[in-house]
Formats: sequence, structure tokens, C-alpha cells
Amino acid sequence: MKRALLVGAIAAALVVCAIGAQVQTSPLFDPANLRAVGAFVRGLFPPDLSPAFLPVVARATLRTLGVAVAGTVLSMALGLPLGILGTASLWRRGPLLEGERQSLGRAALAAASLVARGLSRFLRAVPELVWALFFVVGFGLGPLPGTLALAVSYAGVLGRVYADLFEAVPPGPIVALHASGATRLQAFAAGIWPQAAGSVAAYSLYSFECCVRSAAVLGFVGAGGIGAEINLSMRLFEYGQVTTLLAALVLLVLGADAFSRALRGRFQRNAVHGSGLLRDALELRSARRGLGLVWLALLLFAFQQAGFVGIAAAGLWPHLGRFAAQLFPPDLSPAFLATLVTPLWQTVAISVVGTAIGIALGSVLALPATSTLLVADPDRRRGLPARALRVAIHGAARASLAVLRSIPELVWVLLCILAVGLGPFAGALALGLHTAGVLGKLYAETLEEVPPAPVEELRAIGAGALQRLLWGMWPQARETLASYTLLRWETNLRVSTVVGLVGGGGLGLALYNDVQLAFYDRAATLVLLIYLLVAATDALADRLRRRPTARGIALAPESALALIAESGSAAAP
Amino acid sequence: MSFELREVALVYPSRAGAVRALDGVTLAIAGGERVALLGPSGAGKSSLLKLFNATARPTAGAIRFEGRRLAALAGSDLRAVRRRIGTVFQQPSLVPSLTALQNALCGHLGSWSLARSLRALLAAAPSDTRVALAALKTVGLLDKAAARADELSGGQQQRVAIARVLVQDPEVVLTDEPFASLDPGLTAQLADLLLHVAQGRTLIAALHDVELALAHFPRIVGLRGGRVAFDAKAAEVSPQMLRELYAHEARGAVG
Repeated sequence: MKRALLVGAIAAALVVCAIGAQVQTSPLFDPANLRAVGAFVRGLFPPDLSPAFLPVVARATLRTLGVAVAGTVLSMALGLPLGILGTASLWRRGPLLEGERQSLGRAALAAASLVARGLSRFLRAVPELVWALFFVVGFGLGPLPGTLALAVSYAGVLGRVYADLFEAVPPGPIVALHASGATRLQAFAAGIWPQAAGSVAAYSLYSFECCVRSAAVLGFVGAGGIGAEINLSMRLFEYGQVTTLLAALVLLVLGADAFSRALRGRFQRNAVHGSGLLRDALELRSARRGLGLVWLALLLFAFQQAGFVGIAAAGLWPHLGRFAAQLFPPDLSPAFLATLVTPLWQTVAISVVGTAIGIALGSVLALPATSTLLVADPDRRRGLPARALRVAIHGAARASLAVLRSIPELVWVLLCILAVGLGPFAGALALGLHTAGVLGKLYAETLEEVPPAPVEELRAIGAGALQRLLWGMWPQARETLASYTLLRWETNLRVSTVVGLVGGGGLGLALYNDVQLAFYDRAATLVLLIYLLVAATDALADRLRRRPTARGIALAPESALALIAESGSAAAP
Repeated sequence: MSFELREVALVYPSRAGAVRALDGVTLAIAGGERVALLGPSGAGKSSLLKLFNATARPTAGAIRFEGRRLAALAGSDLRAVRRRIGTVFQQPSLVPSLTALQNALCGHLGSWSLARSLRALLAAAPSDTRVALAALKTVGLLDKAAARADELSGGQQQRVAIARVLVQDPEVVLTDEPFASLDPGLTAQLADLLLHVAQGRTLIAALHDVELALAHFPRIVGLRGGRVAFDAKAAEVSPQMLRELYAHEARGAVG
């Protein structure tokens, strides 16, 4: 009875959101749209590999990579102080602070710590594309505003993740250090950092993966790179070029994933022995100086690609000041606020429908992508044709997930607009396709990593593969699956505020127009609104999480899991 | 003839090279027999049980169940055979987030269709639930039917596993040192329960408790190093035979 009510409520909410996101089947079969899709699909082949175009692709790819690397490095540099200051166990509560005298200095530090946490939250809640939109106005077109947007946004992510990781460290050594007279920063350096360094490195790498995908779409607001080229080629109907660019993008994203996975593996091994990072750095200095220099050169090249040349242009700072001043005070007139109701509702609806599409399509693809269900099942009929077919289906499912996941939401919007026209439906569809790739991969990996013993017992009873899935794997995985799905919805809500920038409906369109028309006070209101929306969902999701995770598996801090749900990359380190 | 093994070998690949778990095992077990498998750890008892319940395939030789080669079966034929063979494992691995009742219901999985399994996950048919509740009653856990499996003690989980076998209602019951992790009082209680449940069925039990084996099992098969060391009536098993069976283990324990 209770379950029936819940299912009914969810179904009703979905229908309402589907109406809000203007989901219709008619545009999917509209002859004009079908012709456009047909022309697009035909145009995709052959890919444009002409000598004139390939250098363009190479330059755009390098630029995107450079922006991503520089953005990641800067976000780590900004995120670390935010994280240290935001660590509650250092400044606000816990054994380190018990028995200490109340003092003004201590209260000030506690307040600063809260501010650092709030700032991280705010930097993150505003999507990087919105930051980029503002920075483009402030710094002019080019890769620099994109890099800064990444730096600011992911500093918010990492600030939270770092703080949560630092808090999760076992307190014993820190208390001992503090008792023997160490200051809190010394306690951090000697007690917390060595224990958390491995995870810090691993999650920074996850954030790098996210940055690569983000860097690709920053081009949509004038920051150059692959996104800008895709946008241009779409407008010119040069679909052969789109194929080449998309292939480059997929390769770049998958390459970044592989690089990050390889490095994560190394850090994890080192993390077992304590402060692997520090030792790595020391080894680098002595034994591998040459290699270190190569890395340094690459890093400098990345920053050069990211536009950190000629940053001190004359008149930049006064211009920035003028721009910042124009943001205040935000336009809070009722007439303006009233115009935001529909886009706001559309944004929420897009995120819900997009997530629902992602869950449905992702689940369908996740099952054949789960190796324990298909290729690694010893009960399947043997013999070469049957095996080859299974391996082919498994490979196809994995490959589709990888492509869905590697192409960012905003690029999907461009493609979906062809199929269903401008508007929120295109945004929801685009969000759904990318989400399917991310969730499908996470679902498959979660199912593969379920403790095998109970499932094996069901096999011995005579349960078939799908019965084992229903009765053995699903019950063990459902809490993790639900947690990833919820986290992904939070990410999608943030993204659905920007799909409008390229014609996908919601708040993004209003924001884009206000910035283009220099109504900066209105844009400031929109940013505020986006922040409130994201903060509200955070709170809602926290409430939803409280219940099922009473017994749930505490893998990693919530903020860290959120990063995984965003990158869709391998399971928690 | 229930099971028939001819020159069976089972080799596991491992990082340190191939591990030969069973080697040249020839054995026949008739329907309705009660057989205890004895032997030091690593003798191949668990491997043998995996062959009996068709979750492993022999590397060489053949194992037949009622004349059919198990290794040749796949898909629904394999399910049909497994449905008739129930296993109680050493460390019962119930599905932790399901209730005791749901875990007992799992005994039906071999005979349920996919659609019925899906429906049963939401709400099982009353007739299926009745069978599962009766089984829980037999093992004395009716009051824990709604408790999650991970909230039960080790002994209670073992009893749910036995209830699951009751629901499955197989012709053959296999047990793999089911009492290894329990205290002695509990062991006696559970042994009685298991023997009661196995009445009218073939029972093959890997045991480490020699006295228990000699007291309740007419036939004893001694395994050592993956080979059959002896295969004798319980009355004919001499202390000398047992000493030789466990010889190395004892020396290892002293040294």
C-alpha cells in the first residue's frame, strides 16, 4: 500500500515534469526534423580528414586539453586552502578543540572556516559555464576566461572534497600530535595530510576528468577549443567536420580517463604505505629530475594554451572593476522576478526528465555491459559462435556507454535540437543521453562489484542469470545505485540551468540574453537564483539520503561520491 | 545410482601456477545414501561438493548425475539439475539486505519463471510464502521472518540457509562443513536439524568433526591431497586410518 502510493507519487511527478519539459513524441516524427536528422546522419560520413581541417582539430584539442590541465592545477591550488580552512575537525569541533579556552581568535577561525565551506559551496553551485559567461565579459574572448571558470568552479568542488577527506581521517595521531604541543597547522601537516594524501590525489584526478569534458563545452560561450569548433561546424552544416571533432573529443575524454586511472592506481598503492605523494615528490627530485622537467614543460605549455600570456593587458583591471560594479545591486523587481517563474520550473523539469531518461536508457545498457551477467557467466552455452556473440554484445554496450558519456551534455543539446527543435525537450533529451552513459557505466560497475558469495549460492540453487540479478545482485547494490542516481540528479540540476545557453530551454537562455544585452544586474539575480535552487536540492537530497543510508555502505564522503557521479569514472578509490 | 565420478580432476588456475584440487577421483554414490567426506583442509572436500552441485566443471574425467554428464549441461537443463541438489555452505552467504523470509523464498528460484521471480520480489504468492514460513518454523526462526539477514547471528543465518534448502526440497543435500564457525552446543543442535531435514534425501556432508561423522554417517570417504584415501563403512574406519588421513596436519600443527 505504502509502496503503491510512492510509485504513484513518483509517476505523477514524472508526468508533471514531462509536461514542464515539453516532452512530446510528435517532434520526433516530424518530417522536417526527420529530414534534418537524416541530413545530419548522412553528412557525418565521411568524416572530414582533409589536410586543411586536421590542423584545426589538433589545435582545438590541444587548447581544450591545455585549458583542462591549467584549470585543474589552479583549482587544486585554490581548493587546498579552502579545504584546509573548511575542515571542521581542525577549526570548529572535535577532539582537537575540546578543552581549549574560548577566545576571540578561536571564534574568528571557526567563522572563517564556515565561510570557506560556504564559499566552496557557492563556487560549485554556480555552473562553470555561467562563470565562463561572466569571465568572458570581464576578460574578453579566448581560453583564459574558460580556464578561470574551471579553476573557480572546481576549486569549489575540491574545497569540499578535500575538507571531507581531511575530516574522515582517523583522529588518533592528530590528537596525539596536538597533545604534544603541535599547532593545528603542524597537526595537519604531520597527522592529516599523510593519511589523506592518497585520496586527495585520486579525487583530484577524478576532477581532472570532469575538467576535460567541461573544457570542451566552454567554447560555447567564447572560450575556444573543441566545443567552439563543433558549434561552428554545426552552424555551417559541415557535419563531416563534426564527426572528426566528436571523434577527437571522445578520444580526448577516454584518454584523460585512462591517464587518470593509471595514476590513481599508482597513488593508491603508495597510499597504503603512508604519504606516497611526498615520497613521490622526493624521488622525482633526486632520481627522475629529467622526467620532472618534461612534466614542468608540459605544464607551462598547458598554461600557455590556456591563455596565460599577456594577462597584464592595459586597462584590464579598471574594466573588471566596472563590470563587477554593474552586477550590484541585483535586479529584484517583482516584474523581473515574475518572468523567471517559467524558466525556473522548466529547469527543474529538464533535470528530472533528463535523469529519468538517463536511468531508463542507462539501465538497459548497463545489463549487457555487466561482465558477470554476460561474458563471465560460466553457465552460458559454450561454443565459439555463442561466445563471440556475447562478447560482441558486451563490447557494443560498453562502447555505447563510453560514447554517450564522453560527449558532454551541451554538445548533445546541439545534436538533439536537430531532432526535436529548440526548447526544453532538446535539453532534457541531451541531459538524458549523457546521463545514460554515466549512470549506465556506474550501474554496471556497481553490479560487477557486488559481493559474489550470496550470488553464487543462488546459482547453486538453480537461479538463472536474471534471477541472480533480481534476487542476489540488485538487493546488494540498490543502496549504492540509488545514491549514485540521486547524486547524478543533483549534477543534472546544475547542468539544466545552462542547457539554455545553446537552446535547450530553462534559465540558461534568460541568463545568456541578459549577459549579451549587458543587463548585468539581472544576470546577478539569475546567479543568485541558480545558487538557491542548487542549495535547495542539496538539502532535499540530503534528507532523501538520510533514510536509506542508515545502514548504507559508507564508501567515501558524499562530496567525493558526487565527483564520481559527475565523472562517471571507475568506482571509489 | 545418484552420482558417478570417473577419474575426475579439478585444476584451478592461480597466480602461483595451477592448483590441483582433485586428482583421479573415482566414486559412486547411490540415491538415499548418507556419506561424510573427511580430510584435512585443502584435501579437496569443497571442490568435490562444487562438482556435485554443478557449479564447477571437472578439468578431466566425468561426473554424472543419474547417468547425465553434468559438464555437458547448460542453460535450463543445468538449472533443472541444480534445482534437485541443495547446498548448505560453510559460511552461509545469505543476501544481506533481504529478510529471512525472502532468503528462504530463494529456495524457489530454481523452479520459478523469471516473471514469477520478479513478482515475488515485490510480493510473493501466498502458496510460496506458506512453504517458506513453514520452513522457517521447522528451523525455529518464525519470529525472525521479517528480520534482515545481516541482523541475524551466525547460527541463525545457518538455520535460514537450511530453511532455504527445505523450500528448495531437493533430492540431494550437500553440506560443506556447516558447523565450522559455530560453538559446540549450537553444532549439536544444528546437526540434528540438518539430519532431520535430510531424511529421505541423499546427504553428502564435508565435515571436520570426526565423531559426528562416525556417529551419523554409515559411509565415510577420506580425502587427502585431492585423492580418495579410503572409502569405507563407518564401522570399518580405524583410528589408524584417521591418523594417516590427518597425519600431515597434526605434524604441521605441532611444528
